[in-house]
Amino acid sequence: MTSIGTGYDLANSIFSPDGRNFQVEYALKAVENGGTSIGIRCKEGVVLAVEKIITSKLLKPGANKRIATVDRHIGIAFSGMIPDGRHFIDRARDEARAWRDTFKTPITTADLASRMGGYMQAYTLYQSVRPFGITTIIAGYDSPEDERVDGEVGRGPSCGAGGKVAGKTHGGPYLYMIEPSGLYWGYYGAATGKGRQAAKAELEKLDLQGDSLTLEQAVKEAARIIYVAHDDSKDKDFELEMTWISGPDGPTKGLHQEVPKALREEAERLAKKALEDDDEEEAKEEKKDDDKMEE
Amino acid sequence: MAAMFSQNPLMNGPNYSFSDAPRFSVPEGAREHRFDPYADNGGSTLAIAGADFTIMAGDTRLTSGYSINSRYHPKLYKIGGTTADQSDATIVLSVVGFAADGEALKERLDAICKMYRYRHGKPMSVKACAQRLSTILYQKRFFPYYAYAILGGLDEEGKGAVYSYDPVGSYEREQCRAAGAAASLIMPFLDNQVNFKNQYVPGSGEGHNLQERPRRPLTRSEVEVLVKDAFDGAVERHIEVGDGLQMMVITKDGIEEILLPLKRD
Amino acid sequence: MDHRPQAWGRPRDDVFGPYDPSYLQTTGPKTATQQPIVTGTSVIAIKFKDGVVMAADNLASYGSLARFTDVKRLHPFLGHTIVGFGGDVSDMQYLTRHLNELAIDEAYDHEAASAQSGGGSHLNAANLHKYLSKLMYRRRNSFDPLWNAILVAGFDSQGKPFLGSVDLRGTAFTSPSLATGFGAMLAQPIMRKYAATEGDTENMTRDEAVRVVKECMKVLFYRDARSLDRYSLAVVTKDGVELSEDEQLEQQSWAFAERIRGYGTQTVPSLSGSETISALLALYP
Repeated sequence: MTSIGTGYDLANSIFSPDGRNFQVEYALKAVENGGTSIGIRCKEGVVLAVEKIITSKLLKPGANKRIATVDRHIGIAFSGMIPDGRHFIDRARDEARAWRDTFKTPITTADLASRMGGYMQAYTLYQSVRPFGITTIIAGYDSPEDERVDGEVGRGPSCGAGGKVAGKTHGGPYLYMIEPSGLYWGYYGAATGKGRQAAKAELEKLDLQGDSLTLEQAVKEAARIIYVAHDDSKDKDFELEMTWISGPDGPTKGLHQEVPKALREEAERLAKKALEDDDEEEAKEEKKDDDKMEE
Repeated sequence: MAAMFSQNPLMNGPNYSFSDAPRFSVPEGAREHRFDPYADNGGSTLAIAGADFTIMAGDTRLTSGYSINSRYHPKLYKIGGTTADQSDATIVLSVVGFAADGEALKERLDAICKMYRYRHGKPMSVKACAQRLSTILYQKRFFPYYAYAILGGLDEEGKGAVYSYDPVGSYEREQCRAAGAAASLIMPFLDNQVNFKNQYVPGSGEGHNLQERPRRPLTRSEVEVLVKDAFDGAVERHIEVGDGLQMMVITKDGIEEILLPLKRD
Repeated sequence: MDHRPQAWGRPRDDVFGPYDPSYLQTTGPKTATQQPIVTGTSVIAIKFKDGVVMAADNLASYGSLARFTDVKRLHPFLGHTIVGFGGDVSDMQYLTRHLNELAIDEAYDHEAASAQSGGGSHLNAANLHKYLSKLMYRRRNSFDPLWNAILVAGFDSQGKPFLGSVDLRGTAFTSPSLATGFGAMLAQPIMRKYAATEGDTENMTRDEAVRVVKECMKVLFYRDARSLDRYSLAVVTKDGVELSEDEQLEQQSWAFAERIRGYGTQTVPSLSGSETISALLALYP
């Protein structure tokens, strides 16, 4: 590492002469050690999946969830240092509540991403703090319906324009990823953590911008990608944790929820099968090569 | 009108009010209120101490004005047990008056008794609990709990103990006590039947020679009949009493609870 | 132009009269809610063998003015409890927002708890009733009451139907049937005819409970001047809350009004003094 010994990496809030903040770059290293997290956005909703690496046999299977709900309609997954992630989620929940207190309506995914991005960025500015050792994926479905103000009692006038433009829709599925620097973008598909390279390659093969992928397919793809991104040789066991959010007409009715057990197990079965098929094909190819060699 | 358009404000022009000071001042923290924080939820309670037991009783009606809010709202609470169902409690509190204050009072006393048990590793004695209840009530001397409390249990010698209170914490140990809406109906009956007031030995003489009937502790079955009769009488004559009779019999073996029907009219 | 800057911008005494500086006072008494302003009338509810039925009309009155006619006063909580509000509407809004926050927080905890134990316990109706009674009692203690009468319906920890009431003083109680406000006078006797005891409710079917509640809403509309014929009806069962917010009173019969003097549209003929007396004597023999 070029930064070592130069002194520019000893504190946050100090740039190196070539314009880098080494503390932030080290934080990224922490992320790269964490289990893979991915998010897939499709027309019907968003899916989050986490490769939860089992660090001890003494941990209860299925416990210690890694994906959290914020408000009712937003989910947050992260890779990297788990305590940092927990704190980040607490903060996101506080933001969502503060938003409700002020505006009497649920926070939009974009607004939460913006606020949390600002929060992450603030931890790159001061001597006294270190950046978050996590990259987070924020998924949400903003209600496309007329959102009632909290505590609102009536429905308002039943006639008149009401400021609505015919044919104009709002709300829908959103996916954001925030990095330790505070940088965030909206994505069709996002991946971070150990297996992000493989996961990104797989995500790019999907048609995420079109209409073709259904939410259920997205769940199955997410499971498959986590299995593909998992490195058997390095890590022992892992658990697949998946959540999803659909629109009000979909299976979760606009809420962020865990993917039902039956669907998750089906997705895992398909993912394992896909992996085995790949292995077989590879084996065949190898065999062909061997045959050629013998010739 | 001339004054309005005068160019010489000092001489005859308009004047302005400069004083911003309040014309009257109110003492700090004083509050004007039209809200009456109290209500009377009717009902009646009763407690009688025996030689080795105490019986507490109360009707289960909850009223507000002429309305019956609930036909089953117990006024007797077991205090200081270690479980949610208070199965190992040894003290009973009865409250009548304003139900919300009664409930709050019960929760306070119960919490304190539990804390005592955790700190000292033994249940609170009735005597100590009685003193503590008085303190709780007096602490709210200037915004009192509007509740007439009776505390019942067994004293250190195993004798029945009944302590009765006024809403601000004045208390005494008694043989028996009636409280609440029908207290004035039940108490004279108790004076006569428990303490044998105005009962004399037949043929013992005239005027000052009359001999009072000697007092003796009542048996449990006698007291149970007495309680039932007292409440049947109260139900007949007081509209705020009725529906159900809840009795708790405290003995060295624990607390036995009995529920009996009363007239619901 | 006045030469004293202090005078600029002030109302002129000769036009407006001397200014009353008491309006500017900042140290006056703290004024808490002293009366309800916009109000909802009765809420009624009755238990049956598999749950609870609750109803309240959709009117919010401003004094005797029927001010808002599309106000929903039944609010589901966590999908398995229903809370009905009578009394001040702004205090109801405050409480529903508060309950909404509570529900979101509760879901966070539930998410964590259920992952550990495989099914944490939700805040049930009995728990919520206790919570609201403590909240209301605390507010009455600070002389700043929330001017409501509240019914809470759902299930208790044993899984049995639960129905409880709390008022602005924090008085809390339960009963097989409950009604707030005018309903305590008019609806409660009718409901008690069908469900006098807990035992009666265990034999009551859902359809019967709904029928009784609808009948009560009709009686309330006949006799409560601050009521409306549009109402909300909620049924809580083990399967959750079914809430219909746009019910309409059916099969009304106003024939009874004809016979009641002062209720209907009878005209009073002008009579001479002696005629008045004989007419009165005929009315009150």
